[in-house]
Amino acid sequence: MASGIALRDVSRTFVSRGQTTEALRSVSLDCAPGSFTALIGPSGCGKSTILRLCLGLDTANAGTVTVDDLPPAEATRKGITGVAFQDAALLPWRTVEKNIALPLDVLGLSLGDYRERIAELIALVGLNGFEKALPAELSGGMRQRVAIARSLVTTPRVLFLDEPFGALDQILRKQMNIELQRIWMETQATTLLVTHGIDEAVFLADRVVVMASRPGRISRIIEIDLPRPRDPALFNQEHFHALERQVSEALDGH
Amino acid sequence: MGISHWPGWARALLNLALVLLVWEVVGQFQLVASGALPPPSAVLLRLVADWYDYPEHIAATLYGAGVGFLIGNLVAVAAGVLFALYPITSRVARGLNVAIFALPPIAISPILVLTLSDMAPRIVLAALGCYFVTMTATVVGLTQADARAVDVVRAYGGRKWAALRFVQWRSALPTILSGLRIAAPNAVLGSILAEFGGGGRWGLGVYLLGSLGRAEPDRLWGIGLVATGIAALAYFAFAALAGAINRGSQAVTVPSAVLSAGDKPRPAWQQALIIASSVALPFALWWVLLAVLRVPSMIAKTPPGLFEYLFLLPSAPIAQGKLLAALAQTLPMTLIGMVLGLALAFALALSSQIWPAIVRAFMPVALVTQTMPLVALTPLLVLMLGRGPAVILWITISVTFFPAFVTMAQGLLQVPRAALEVPKAYGAGIYKQLRLVSVPASLPYLFAATRLTVPRALLGVMIAEWLATGTGLGNLLNQSRGYMDYGMIWAVAVVSVLISVLFYQIVVVVERRTLGRLGMASAE
Ligand SMILES: Nc1ncnc2c1ncn2[C@@H]1O[C@H](COP(=O)(O)OP(=O)(O)O)[C@@H](O)[C@H]1O
Ligand SMILES: [Mg+2]
Repeated sequence: MASGIALRDVSRTFVSRGQTTEALRSVSLDCAPGSFTALIGPSGCGKSTILRLCLGLDTANAGTVTVDDLPPAEATRKGITGVAFQDAALLPWRTVEKNIALPLDVLGLSLGDYRERIAELIALVGLNGFEKALPAELSGGMRQRVAIARSLVTTPRVLFLDEPFGALDQILRKQMNIELQRIWMETQATTLLVTHGIDEAVFLADRVVVMASRPGRISRIIEIDLPRPRDPALFNQEHFHALERQVSEALDGH
Repeated sequence: MGISHWPGWARALLNLALVLLVWEVVGQFQLVASGALPPPSAVLLRLVADWYDYPEHIAATLYGAGVGFLIGNLVAVAAGVLFALYPITSRVARGLNVAIFALPPIAISPILVLTLSDMAPRIVLAALGCYFVTMTATVVGLTQADARAVDVVRAYGGRKWAALRFVQWRSALPTILSGLRIAAPNAVLGSILAEFGGGGRWGLGVYLLGSLGRAEPDRLWGIGLVATGIAALAYFAFAALAGAINRGSQAVTVPSAVLSAGDKPRPAWQQALIIASSVALPFALWWVLLAVLRVPSMIAKTPPGLFEYLFLLPSAPIAQGKLLAALAQTLPMTLIGMVLGLALAFALALSSQIWPAIVRAFMPVALVTQTMPLVALTPLLVLMLGRGPAVILWITISVTFFPAFVTMAQGLLQVPRAALEVPKAYGAGIYKQLRLVSVPASLPYLFAATRLTVPRALLGVMIAEWLATGTGLGNLLNQSRGYMDYGMIWAVAVVSVLISVLFYQIVVVVERRTLGRLGMASAE
């Protein structure tokens, strides 16, 4: 079952008010089926652009993007993909349950078949008792967890996460990292995570892809050979710190 | 405990009671224009005495306004959806939209009475009054929906219609309802203005016009109050509906704008084509409508027919002369009234930054005037101010001042306190604060207010000319109706729409230049 992500020589240039921005120049990246890849880089280096291209939210000026060997638009329409952004982007008039069910509505799937799945996901992200709550009644962290549950509702084979924990505090982020690892190991979904947390990237990913800006490009790929399952004790180990240093040096352009 | 601690509604009631009291005293002692402003008690008594006449007039106006409101808003929402989903259509329809926004309803009222029958002119004018407000609200509401949430829908393969169905329409609903709130008084105004234009025995406009000739100020005021009451009722009904729908489901994050576009601009020839079709569309529609309605060509002038009347016929020079003479009377009045109204509104809105209390007290009054079909109340002003040129200025100032003030004061409320406090932290006094922060921050709203008041000013002048002074375009229109000079009726209508559009367009260009240079966005 192939379900990887592949970018081949992808370039994307934006023109706005006479200014051209080379958001991506000739980027190639392969994410093997079931792998966990973290994208890290200075802000504006094209990380979100890569995700948007993979989700068919934008189209490249040159090169090809495939998800599960399909063009993005087709892959998304088949319900293969899941997505969560930095801000939860919940619909304020839908309850927690109904927000999680939004992808099902869009894909035209029957809600009845997914009742159990939704209940499971709510338990997974620790929101029991809040099924009928509206987003305005939740804290920021809780909203973000709804967005994570929403990204998982279709049991996606490919999962895209764009700084999903960026707005959470340090403690909650660590908790969510552990949860995410558990979810990923259970579902085996090919995952592409955009983050600006070096520790988060090293803790979660098989590979950390370091990007540079102007033009947006991949500057280095660092393999993370830590055994799984990884537990929080890892954060204090020397090897973990060494990997963190490698990433940080790559970010500084060494 | 001071009054400032009272809840808002209590203070509003107190203000209302004060206004009524002053009005009663002024009326009882005939302090204004020897009795042109009767005391509220007299108005009320007369209202009760006349009550037998009212039901049929009210029903007729309600019918015209109601059907127009329904049709106008249906079309407006449909058009708004189209424009939001396919932005190119909005650029092609821009000329038509601006023309509908800018047209002074009174100018086309006689044409509608000529070409349509029965209630149709009222319905059309009421519908036109609703269209622009609701269409704009729909477009703004749909396009300002949380772009991230739209992305979520699209990331699951949803297309434009899915985004519309799951995200945009529901998030646009409050904006659309607040559009309907403004559209409601506009519909009443439209119906009444069509009634001024003639046709029909019933309607508050007919009643108002009929009572203007007789010296019965108390009856005129009664009719004005009833018209205002109807409009206000509709206004608050939609305000309450919007409130009920918004409860508990406010957006939790400030929708982050995702830069759209980002691709190469269209080639110049395509841009030119879009602009050309945008200009041609209103004229084409005018022509097609006449053909479809099969109006006799003597009455209905097509674009070439009008050109012939104004430039080719032997009588053309006379027609041109009349038109130019009328313009020379109308235009200066419009400009002066508009500038005065705007300046007053600007000054008062700015002073809200220095004396917030004054404006807090005044704001409810200004907001109430939003629910009034103000221009329809012109006969009341004529009664109080007589028929000299002063009445034109007063009417124009009053119809421009209130909406401009509300726009600017509400805009200035959005200036973040922090922005005001930075200069203060460096020891700036209140005037320096105004100069550095408030004035620049209010510029987008000043422009928005100017755009809003252009057509209102022209409408105000023309109505005053028609009903009171017997000068300018308004009078020419009224006279031509009497002489059945159809060419002139069309000429006045088209010229006044063109002037209004031209004014509007000039404001838009100046606005883009100025705000662009300052790096500011224009306010809707
Ligand atoms: N729609 C757009 N129009 C113009 N420029 C854009 C658009 N989207 C992204 N960009 C530009 O492309 C570059 C990369 O953006 P992005 O992928 O969002 O960066 P990040 O790595 O921070 O996620 C930035 O310079 C950004 O300003
Ligand atoms: Mg980003």
